[in-house]
Amino acid sequence: MTDLLFLAFAAVTIGAAILAIEARDLVYGAAALGIAFLGVAGLFFLLDAAYVGWFQIAVYIGAVVVLILFTVMLVGPKMGETPLGLKRVSLLAAILVSLLLGMTGALANATAFPGPDSCGSGCSLTLLSTSLLKSYGVQLEFMSLVMAAAVIGALALSKTDRGQ
Amino acid sequence: MEPLSSFFAVSVILLGIGIYGLTTKRNAIRILFSVELIYNAANLNIIAFARLRSPPLVTGQVLVLFTIALAAMEAAVGLSIIILVSRLNAEIDLSKLSKLKG
Repeated sequence: MTDLLFLAFAAVTIGAAILAIEARDLVYGAAALGIAFLGVAGLFFLLDAAYVGWFQIAVYIGAVVVLILFTVMLVGPKMGETPLGLKRVSLLAAILVSLLLGMTGALANATAFPGPDSCGSGCSLTLLSTSLLKSYGVQLEFMSLVMAAAVIGALALSKTDRGQ
Repeated sequence: MEPLSSFFAVSVILLGIGIYGLTTKRNAIRILFSVELIYNAANLNIIAFARLRSPPLVTGQVLVLFTIALAAMEAAVGLSIIILVSRLNAEIDLSKLSKLKG
């Protein structure tokens, strides 16, 4: 059962990621990117990280994909796709494929990383929230400062000098 | 339960797709897609490695929560830069851009 779920989520994630990069229309690409994020969230659920999975769905699909769709609509879906020279692409693709095959081949040796034990109380939401708010409270506050800076920066960037 | 190496394999493949997109595409929005895919590969890797110890480490999940928040901010700033560039230059093909200031 878990194996089937894992295979389904992995196939959806990888297929949608390829589609997101290769789709002709950017709107379809953004939709495929959302499906890839959903597949990664499913993998998080399989790893007993349910809260992180819900966070991923809320932030990525709820915010990032919608933001990307807005930008695609504002900029125009058909802009800026000139084909690249074939030689550079094929060289890069060869390097990448050999890298991928080598690393996945090394990872296919399942004895190197055994299956995880059942999680028990180690994955409980109580432990996560206590750790987040007590051990990493300062970091959480810094994160909100960075977030405020990012929002202000985005606003300042998108403000043009039309008023002058 | 599926062995952890399968999760690592999915993560490596996502990273490969992301690097492929970064190196071969020229549209700025598509390059942002690739960056987000690489972020997801890293998150999956961190969560899977946190399960490696036998009472699992909760620090991995906390770290991934921070990373997801950072990725959302990066997307916000990057998309606003893309909108600005498309207003100034009327295109977002990165090989043709030469100025950021109007």
